[in-house]
Amino acid sequence: MLRSQQRGVLPGFRLTLGYTLLYLSLIVIIPLAATFVKSSELSWAQFSQTVFSPPALAAYRLSFGASFLAAAVNAIFGFIVAWVLVRYDFFGKQFVDALVDLPFALPTAVAGITLATLYAPNGWLGGWLAPFGIKVSYTQLGIFIALTFIGLPFIVRTVQPVLADLDSELEEAAASLGANRWQAFWRVIFPMLSPALLTGFSLAFARALGEYGSVVFISSNIPMKTQIVPLLIMGELDGFHLARATALAVVMLVISFLLLLAINLLQWWSNRYNATNPA
Amino acid sequence: MSVEVKNVTKKFGNFTALDNVNLKVESGELVALLGPSGSGKTTLLRVVAGLEFPDAGNAQVLFYGEDVTTIPASQRKAGFAFQHYALFRHLNVFENIAFGLRVRPKLKRPGEEKIRARVGELLKLIQLEPLAKRFPSQLSGGQRQRVALARALAVEPKVLLLDEPFGALDAKVRRELRRWLRKLHDEIHITTLFVTHDQEEALEVADRVAILRDGRIEQIGTPEEIYDNPATPFVYDFLGNVNLFSGRVREGTVIIGETEFAVEETAGETDTDAVAFVRPHDIRITREANGQKTFPARILRCNAAGPLANLELERLDGGGNFAAQLSKEEFQQLQPKAGEQVFVELKNVKIFSDDFSI
Repeated sequence: MLRSQQRGVLPGFRLTLGYTLLYLSLIVIIPLAATFVKSSELSWAQFSQTVFSPPALAAYRLSFGASFLAAAVNAIFGFIVAWVLVRYDFFGKQFVDALVDLPFALPTAVAGITLATLYAPNGWLGGWLAPFGIKVSYTQLGIFIALTFIGLPFIVRTVQPVLADLDSELEEAAASLGANRWQAFWRVIFPMLSPALLTGFSLAFARALGEYGSVVFISSNIPMKTQIVPLLIMGELDGFHLARATALAVVMLVISFLLLLAINLLQWWSNRYNATNPA
Repeated sequence: MSVEVKNVTKKFGNFTALDNVNLKVESGELVALLGPSGSGKTTLLRVVAGLEFPDAGNAQVLFYGEDVTTIPASQRKAGFAFQHYALFRHLNVFENIAFGLRVRPKLKRPGEEKIRARVGELLKLIQLEPLAKRFPSQLSGGQRQRVALARALAVEPKVLLLDEPFGALDAKVRRELRRWLRKLHDEIHITTLFVTHDQEEALEVADRVAILRDGRIEQIGTPEEIYDNPATPFVYDFLGNVNLFSGRVREGTVIIGETEFAVEETAGETDTDAVAFVRPHDIRITREANGQKTFPARILRCNAAGPLANLELERLDGGGNFAAQLSKEEFQQLQPKAGEQVFVELKNVKIFSDDFSI
């Protein structure tokens, strides 16, 4: 008779799995389930009226659009920052490296106020842009900038270690096979980094979706124009419409979950070559 | 027609990796660069590949008469195989081999049909046709190195450069691949330079062996030449186990303790201190003294596992320990025991007059 239970070398499987489930339940699953429960107090008509109202639809578009755009821009520029930090030695490198983490540490409200002031039409940076008719503060562009600010460290910090571990022999091999630097980058380096880049992208995207503190200051928060979903939810809460607020939250949750799941699948696919079983 | 390196010096900070090295590899030849770590063999290989550039001076790297000294690796057409393979993890075996063809400039790039045919040929050559769709992580070490070789060969390089190609493999696979490489070279006759620190590998595979030490080529020649006539004590020592006997040289003989042994090429020194080099398999052991030709010793240890028996002996005159190797038959005839006293005769005694340090 075969024993059904396999004994592994690493002890503590049950303990760690049990802890993981408990932790996830207390911190993530139960609070999220509560939003579903609370929103179910609404009838279907009330629910759809809340979540499909024109301001709500405009807010979804803005939230997901600006977050996606900010994460995409960060993916490009964060990649360049990581590249510079890993590949080159220059004076003040440690300083720049520390700077990258600031958006993590700074209270987002401070960031929002600072950005709003700088980019206001009479601000240091906004003053230069105003003559060209470019308004940043209190517009959708401002929201995009705030979301870019808070998302930057995610890309840099996920790409940086993978890039640092990349074997220089791979580039040398590509060169000895006749590849120029551009081909070596696109055919060898970039594909090796893309799983990390996707991880960073999904983290930055998720972070931007939930961002509230900085946007509330840099945006004018006008419904249909510059109102993101978290603001809409806060508005409902201020009016003591708790169930309606959770209904919006539920929609946010479901869409976010589906998007992140899609990114994870993409990431799994881009990392498929690390599978060790013969195909 | 040859691949040639002239007056190449390469320093890394204070460390001189290559010190005015000259080397000529004839077309179709397989040359091994043999040396201990830090001797500059890999640096020399990388200079030929264009992955490293020689220090300013009159250094030159020539591929069949064409000066490629300043040409970067990507335009040199030198196939390079790395010790740890450096395969592209995200590409399968087929795409790894096809890489060099796909990155060619548009005008010279072969069509999909031709790429398929060429890669198919190479897969056949390395006997991995059924594994074309696998990723490198799904291959064994030996298979990976063969893919790396095929990848380097795909671009029809002018010279094939192998950096410790079998260094990361276990002994058995290593011997198999070594023979396979030799066979492959006999089939395709590509000019090849390969780095190794394993003397057995170099002597077995190469047409000629260059021995490096501290950034210089100490000796170059066919395996027989360098094994039978090592130019320096370093080469002698590096090519196999060796015993050192200090004694005095006098008119074609060396006197060790009380005993005189004939030596070749003493270069006419008379009555000077010298160190005699003797390989363990050139030591004969007998039970009876043979006049002036033998000296007494005691056996310390016997180990008869394997095709040869290894003995450790001690000179009775306090001259130190030495090792001897006997064939299985000799061993069974003599049946030596540890602790026993025997007489020792030396054959092929070699004297180096200039420098006795190894």
